[in-house]
Amino acid sequence: MLLNRSGSGGRWRIRPDGPDKVTGALAYLTDMTSEDMLYGLVLRSEHPHAVILAIYTDKAKQLPGVHAVLTYLDVPGLNAFGIAHPDQPVFCEDRARYIGDAIAAVAAESPAIAQQALQLIEVEYEPLQVIDDPEQALLADAPQLHPNGNALHRTTFCKGNTEEGFKQCTYIIEETYYTPRQMHTYMETEGGLFVPEENGRLTVYSPTQHGFMDRLQLSRILAVPQSDIRIVSSPIGGSFGGKDELNVQPYGALLAVRTGRAVKMHNSRRESVRAGLKRHPMKIYMKTGTDAAGKLLAHEVSLLADTGPYSTLGAEVLNFAAEHAIGPYRYEHLDVKGVSVFTNNGMSGEFRGFGGNQSIFALEGQMDRLAERLGMEPWDFRRLNLRKADDPGPFDQPIAMTEGAERVWEAIAKCPLWQERKAMKQLEQFAREPWIKTGIGAAITMHGAGLGVGIPDPAGGRLLLADDGKIEAVFGYEEFGQGLIASLEQMLIEQFGIADGDIRIIIGDTDVVPDSGSTTASRATAMMWKSLQRLRAPFTGQMLERASSIIGFPAGQLRLSEGGIRKIGADELLLTFKELANAEGVPIRCETAFNFPTSATDRVGAHFMYTYSAVAVMVELNTLSGRVRVLQQYHAVAAGPVVNPQGYLGQIEGGSSMALGFTLTEEAVMEKGHYMTRNLDTYLIPTIADQRGTVEVEPIEHLPEDDEYGPRGIGEVGSVTLAPAIAAAIRQASGKWVNRLPVDPGSLQETPFFLNRAVSEG
Amino acid sequence: MSDKVSGNELANGLTCSINGGVQSIPASPSKTLLTLLRDDFALTGTKRSCDIGRCGACMVLIDGKPFNSCLTMAYQCCGKQITTIEGLSAGGIGSIQQAFLEEGGFQCGYCTPGMIISVKALLDDNPDPSDDEIAEALSGNLCRCTGYGGIWRAVKRAIELIGCQ
Repeated sequence: MLLNRSGSGGRWRIRPDGPDKVTGALAYLTDMTSEDMLYGLVLRSEHPHAVILAIYTDKAKQLPGVHAVLTYLDVPGLNAFGIAHPDQPVFCEDRARYIGDAIAAVAAESPAIAQQALQLIEVEYEPLQVIDDPEQALLADAPQLHPNGNALHRTTFCKGNTEEGFKQCTYIIEETYYTPRQMHTYMETEGGLFVPEENGRLTVYSPTQHGFMDRLQLSRILAVPQSDIRIVSSPIGGSFGGKDELNVQPYGALLAVRTGRAVKMHNSRRESVRAGLKRHPMKIYMKTGTDAAGKLLAHEVSLLADTGPYSTLGAEVLNFAAEHAIGPYRYEHLDVKGVSVFTNNGMSGEFRGFGGNQSIFALEGQMDRLAERLGMEPWDFRRLNLRKADDPGPFDQPIAMTEGAERVWEAIAKCPLWQERKAMKQLEQFAREPWIKTGIGAAITMHGAGLGVGIPDPAGGRLLLADDGKIEAVFGYEEFGQGLIASLEQMLIEQFGIADGDIRIIIGDTDVVPDSGSTTASRATAMMWKSLQRLRAPFTGQMLERASSIIGFPAGQLRLSEGGIRKIGADELLLTFKELANAEGVPIRCETAFNFPTSATDRVGAHFMYTYSAVAVMVELNTLSGRVRVLQQYHAVAAGPVVNPQGYLGQIEGGSSMALGFTLTEEAVMEKGHYMTRNLDTYLIPTIADQRGTVEVEPIEHLPEDDEYGPRGIGEVGSVTLAPAIAAAIRQASGKWVNRLPVDPGSLQETPFFLNRAVSEG
Repeated sequence: MSDKVSGNELANGLTCSINGGVQSIPASPSKTLLTLLRDDFALTGTKRSCDIGRCGACMVLIDGKPFNSCLTMAYQCCGKQITTIEGLSAGGIGSIQQAFLEEGGFQCGYCTPGMIISVKALLDDNPDPSDDEIAEALSGNLCRCTGYGGIWRAVKRAIELIGCQ
């Protein structure tokens, strides 16, 4: 059944954070101000690669209204950050490795004075050779960007013997695929307010996807105990992975500590483009072969990722890409290699889909090419090689068993759009103009959730009855728009029988929340669900026992309900939550802590829980302009029960829009280490005019009876399967294979038939 | 007030209506309407995002028409009536806002005030727009979260709600 408002009935709810969002009343962290605050700005390198010979700050310091000018000399602790491996300097000391590298930071009484101060800082550079191509970076004589060379990380996965395997193949496809440097383009750029408190602590109001990770990193930089720092990190105006790593926080924190005054920072869009993370551009070579009947025998993959100047999570993204280059198929022989390479280009890092987007585009491209070579329907070819429910994962690791792959395959096979593909010849006759071509394509994937084997992945939360009678749900997660608060509220209502008015949700404040792990990797909703499963019996038990001691009925006859305690099967309110909270006794409070489930393998990064998705699309290609429009999308998503229908639909629609941009228009173009696309006039994300087609979402909720893991993540999966489906549809429409994204309209343009005739007749 | 101060105000000042209240504002010639609203009036519902008029997060109504406040100089607003999202919300949640709530026409919410301003301008001018007219009117408002599905539904729903009034 399709997911929509009318079919969801009462489960389709207005988000609790909605009213403040539609009225503009919600104060984002970049909206905050403080009396007497200063404005912080960062001076960034003029060159993508240079030796820094000297930094002169005296003139800037002497400018009236300037309160601090900081360089590497002013970092009391570790002059570096990076979630996995802190190798990105807070301030460059003797070398700049990209155009976003920070050299200095100023705090001044107005943004204009701060800007003027930046211009008064003199930096002497000696430009170095710019390494703007990862293949160039791997050459033996290339300048080395880091002590261990230019390869951040290499990964391999082999089984069988591909050389022998290819000898047995009847059909082999070799292709190289290229994917773009995509920008997250959260509408709220990075920023926040940094407030030194009277008690000597520092409060950081700045978006992030894991407050405790920011606290840890800032404590290293500031050389203060973590307990001296409070991170308030929600609400957030979009992140998509882009605010997972530190961005302005080191500068705001250092400036606030130095000046003893509140400091506000808010990146301009140009600054955000220059310094911020992007999706790893990848070059992916694949060689894939089958026997005469179409059974996959051998698959060889070589991934090359441009990770830019510093690590952040580049290694983890590469591991993820390797896993998803294998995907939901079975092969006898596998040889997957990958390397993530340092360059002087922009920072690449964590981004919704996390390396899956690139690999899945390539892998599904291989499947379509092989099917065509075999003369098979592409969907039948996939079925022939698709994993079974009890097959191991891509790295042959044990995974949580579901029938997701088969069920999303089946949903697409049956969907009207795919049925229509079979009648495409008739469809062509109805095309409006001869230069308009239509095509239908589809793709399938499995997408891992959680951080994977070998990476700390804590989860948990707390429920308590507050003094005012509210049931407080306290989690260390972040709300960046995905609907986390709404989903948590909906689970509390549905699982505990209480009402929205009984609930207070507290997130995103390291002083009061437990460390629930990061809000990344499609993990938070699943972990909140699991937390509530674990908390439900003890918390309800404590509540009902207390109620029983007050009103005399046995706890077993009582239930939690809207506003307070009722007898099971009766409507009469016996005790309000407020009365319960006022009763004597130890506070009612339950906490749980556990880890995201991992696979029993030692393969680092391998996943245990997967979401399955398949997408069919219809595109319209104008062969005069080469422009592609996506007319219809049908998404089948197998992720277990739908926690929040509106949020689920929104995640798939929104994720697929991001994928539409990835496929058709988005690329942060760089030349010699400089961004050519610096703002939203040249970096083109989809507008409403690009999204006039239909998007239908069929959630497949089925899970095995003994499944204990509940809802799977859906935050990323909407963004990973669309690109290859569009490429397949373009093939059907134009006869051309797409191997490079975003699709170049020039490559799809054709000379109209009437021009050919005019020339020949002339 | 000394003559000197009032002289300065005349040189750099402007008088306009912001959300119905008439304001006399000292404003330097280089100040944008966006900066004026956010920094001087703490009307932070109007958002800053691209600063070049491409994203629509800073959209406000000037005499009922939608404008990017990042591209509008404060001095250009002399004698004008400016309405921000706070002004639209002064009487509670209106039909357009209700439609956005019901249909999930927002996620992170950062584009939402500007989006709602543009929908307001559209529907005030044309209560029953075609899809082409909706796409045209909202193509200057970027949303990165929703993929516009919820926004399409919200606009259709708003047309219904307003039509029923």
